Order: sequence, then structure tokens, then C-alpha cells
Amino acid sequence: MKDIIWITSASIKNNLRSRITVIVVLATLLICAVGLAATFSIVLIKPEMKALSPDQSRLEMSLSLILSVTSLLGLGINLNAFAFQILTREKAKGIIQSLLATPLKEKDIWLGKSLAIFLPGLIVGEMLTLTALVSLNYIFFVPRIGFLINPWIILSNFVAIPLMYLSLSLLVYLIGLIGKPATSNVIAIIFLSGIITVIINLVIRSILDATSWTYFLVNVGIAAIIGIITLLLLPRLEKERIVLSS
Amino acid sequence: MNSAISLDSIKKTLGSREVLRGISFTVATGDIFGYLGPNGAGKTTTIRILLGLLPASSGKLEVLGQDINRSETRKKIGFALDPTGLYDNMSATENLEYYARIYRVADATPKISRLLGMVGLADRAGDKAGTYSKGMKQRLALARAMVHSPEILVLDEPTAGVDPSGQIEIRQILLEIAHKEQKTIFLSSHNLDEVQRICNRIALIDRGEIKLYGELESLRHQMGKGGIVIETAQEISEAILAELKSLPQLGLQEHQGKHLYFSPPEEAEVSDIIGWLVSRGIKIDFAQRKEASLEEMYSSILKEVESR
Repeated sequence: MKDIIWITSASIKNNLRSRITVIVVLATLLICAVGLAATFSIVLIKPEMKALSPDQSRLEMSLSLILSVTSLLGLGINLNAFAFQILTREKAKGIIQSLLATPLKEKDIWLGKSLAIFLPGLIVGEMLTLTALVSLNYIFFVPRIGFLINPWIILSNFVAIPLMYLSLSLLVYLIGLIGKPATSNVIAIIFLSGIITVIINLVIRSILDATSWTYFLVNVGIAAIIGIITLLLLPRLEKERIVLSS
Repeated sequence: MNSAISLDSIKKTLGSREVLRGISFTVATGDIFGYLGPNGAGKTTTIRILLGLLPASSGKLEVLGQDINRSETRKKIGFALDPTGLYDNMSATENLEYYARIYRVADATPKISRLLGMVGLADRAGDKAGTYSKGMKQRLALARAMVHSPEILVLDEPTAGVDPSGQIEIRQILLEIAHKEQKTIFLSSHNLDEVQRICNRIALIDRGEIKLYGELESLRHQMGKGGIVIETAQEISEAILAELKSLPQLGLQEHQGKHLYFSPPEEAEVSDIIGWLVSRGIKIDFAQRKEASLEEMYSSILKEVESR
């Protein structure tokens, strides 16, 4: 466990010191999140708030959708931006090979490095989601109907979606480690755009209730499926495969 | 002889290509062992097998009499690979601290300071490794390789891409490590001059096979007495040159102005050649027997392999 913590902390330290990358990622993230939240608010929340008696369940649904997209973006952009770039650089610079030549275990290196990509994204993504939750409430809801909150909204957006991205980070890093980092980047991009499109469609078409326990379970289920795929691929995490793919 | 590293009939196949074809050699404790070979000969694969990064397809490898895949054995090896694997955004000290933690080095701070001093980076210890020159990065990688006081150092081309003054510095550090710190060094290199200067034993690999292996001095002896350089007082006439070339027992190899280079057979002596030249009225200014250089051995073996 100590090894994983050291690998994670050293990697985060090294990654975050690349100021230009961090600034570009944060700026992209902020623009995307604020832009999307504003667009969704205008399209979904504002018309509902104009009604004489706004439908609270519809408002909760819109709020949950906005929070989900913000959370997915926060975690996803970080994963897309960092995983590919960092893994490619670390493989090319011999960092991974050098770590493999120490007494560290392959699994510890994989876990430590995956967490180094996931944790900064988790913090940034969840800060943005929390900011969206508070600001949307104070801009739209508090003046008329009070603070809108629902336990499933909180659990889905602050637990299930991060869990899904933890599984995805582990899978993406594993694939990048034993194969080409570019492949893992494609998977991350397809997943991010795919999952956002599917969620928006299912929620807007009222197929999936984004304020219910089903929504929470769907997200946890996706996390579990990704986790199972990762476990199935785990036996391929061998030094030879990693070294020869570098 | 206590063996630090022992490879016995190691084979490695990658895909359909046999990269190592049953190589065997031993590195004795305290050796500075030079591992030579052209690009694609199998040097890097050997190093990767030595460090447990790749498993051998067959054969036996022992490091300090133990299996390399044991965690305890790995702790006894330090390495500096190419590329170095340093974190560019961390300082020299942070890079060493990180590896000190991985190897569970107790009270690492004074040791790190000493190592940075030894490789001449004490005044740049706080600077990011990414701001270092290639030579400085190689020196930092050497310090990192030493951070857990290993018994064996495995170095993959530590002077590759380093300017001449940087190469000299690295060579001096390696000699210091070998003699003062009493380490066994396995050094893979393209640089024949470097190997000749610091290594006591060598192995030459080509196309996955060991072509030459042993003590550098005894190899020189095996490869023949080397050449004889003679400088004459006057230019040699074409007639005498033609006569010289017709005498294989004298072994004239090269001629340029007053300079003659002979590579005579084993039984010939310098005096035979000098006697012959003097008998033709040629005055000798200078004569010296030159031992076979590593470069000569290397190129003659590679030529022999290519001619097969």
C-alpha cells in the first residue's frame, strides 16, 4: 500500500508541475462545464421556472442532468488530456521501465499511476459539480421554491459517476500500459462522448429518471462492467508486455 | 572467482526472431565488465533479462547466486538505463528521494547529498531534472542507481549522446564507484575507447551470439601481438615497397610517406623487420610494437562474422 501511495504522490507532483498542461486542461474544463451548465439551464430550467407553479420533479431531473454532465466532463476531460499524454511521455522517457526494474510490483505501478490520473480529475470534477449544484440552486430555485436536493442526485453524481471513472481510469491506464497509449486514449474519448450522449438522451426522453435509485444503479452497473473488463485484462499485465510496448 | 552475474545458455525469442542464441558468460565480483556489440546485436535484451524486465526463453541466469525475480535480489542491483527514466518535473533530490523510498532506504537525506556531491550535482540539486543537460541527467541516473547501495550496477550506454568532457566525467565517476565503493559494474557501450579505458573484462555480442569474451589483456594476447609502427628517415622507394609487399612474413599492412604499419605473423619480431629495412639502406627514426586495440579486435571479429 505504501508503494502505491508513493507512486501516486510522486506522479501527481510531476504531472501537476507541467503548468501549461494544467492551465490548458483547467481552462478547457471550465469553459465546457460553464457553457454546458448555462445552455442546459436556459433550455431546461428557465422555461420551467417561468410557470406559475414549477414542477419540482422536472426541475430535479434537469438539475441532476446538468450535474451529471458537469461531473462526467470534469472527470472525462482530465482522463483524456492526461492519461494519453502522460503515459506516452513516461513510456518514452523510460520511467515505467525503470520502475519495473525496482522491487515494485507491476500491479502497484499500475494502481499508483492510475490513481495519479484519477485523483486530480476527481477533485476538479467534483468541485465543478458542487459549484454547479450550489450556484444553480441560488440562481434559480432558492428565491422561489427553496434549495433543491435529492439523495439519489447526490449519490449518483458524487459517488456513482466518480466510481465509474475510477474503473475507466484503471482500464484506460491498463490498456495504455500493456499496449499503445493511443488506443487507451481512443477508448476514453469514445466513452466520454458516448456516455454523455446516452445519458442526455435517456433522461430527456424520460426513459431514465436521473433523480431515482435506478440512475444511481445504472452508473454503478457501468462501473462494475468496466471493472470486470479490467479484471479480465489484468492477467496481461506482465513486465514483458509493458517493456516491449514502450 | 565469485560470480556476481552468471548467464548460462540464455536464449530469447521475440515473436519469430531469436534475439539471443544461447549466450553464456560470467561477471566476477569487482569486475568492470564491458558489454559490446553493434546495434541490434542483443545488448539491450540481455540487460532487460539481467534486470528481470524480460524472462529468458531458456537458459539459466543467476545474480549473486540468486534468481533475479526475487525482490531481495533486485534490491542488490542498481541500474541506469537509456533513456534514464528520471522525472523531468522533479528536482534531482526529489528523484533520488523517490527511489530511496521505493528501496526503503533508511536515513536517505545525508546519503542523497553525498551521492549528488559525488556526481557533481550538489549545486544543482534543487533544479528540475528536465533542465539538465544529457550528461547531467546521466550523472543523476548514476546517483539514483547508487541510492540503495547495490552490489551490482547495470549501466546501459551511460555516455551515449554525452559530449566528450561529459564522457570523461562519467568515466571518472564510474572508476570511483568501482574502486572506492567496491561495486561490480556491468557496462553496455558502443564506445570502444571507453570500454578499453575502464573495463577489465569484456564480452562482444553480435547477432545474438557471444563472439569474444574474457579478460581484456588476455584477449589482446589471443588476438595476436598487435602491429608494429615504423617511421623511416626518408621516403621509401617504389621498388623497395614492392619487395616489402611480396614478403608476407613481414606483414606490411599500410604505408603512408615515411610511416609503415606492419602486422606480422606471431613468430616475427620487430628486429626482423628493422633488420630487413636497414639491409636495404633505410634509416629508422622510430619503431614501436603496438598492442591490438579493442577497436581492432572488434572490427576483425565483426568482419569475420560478416564474411561467413
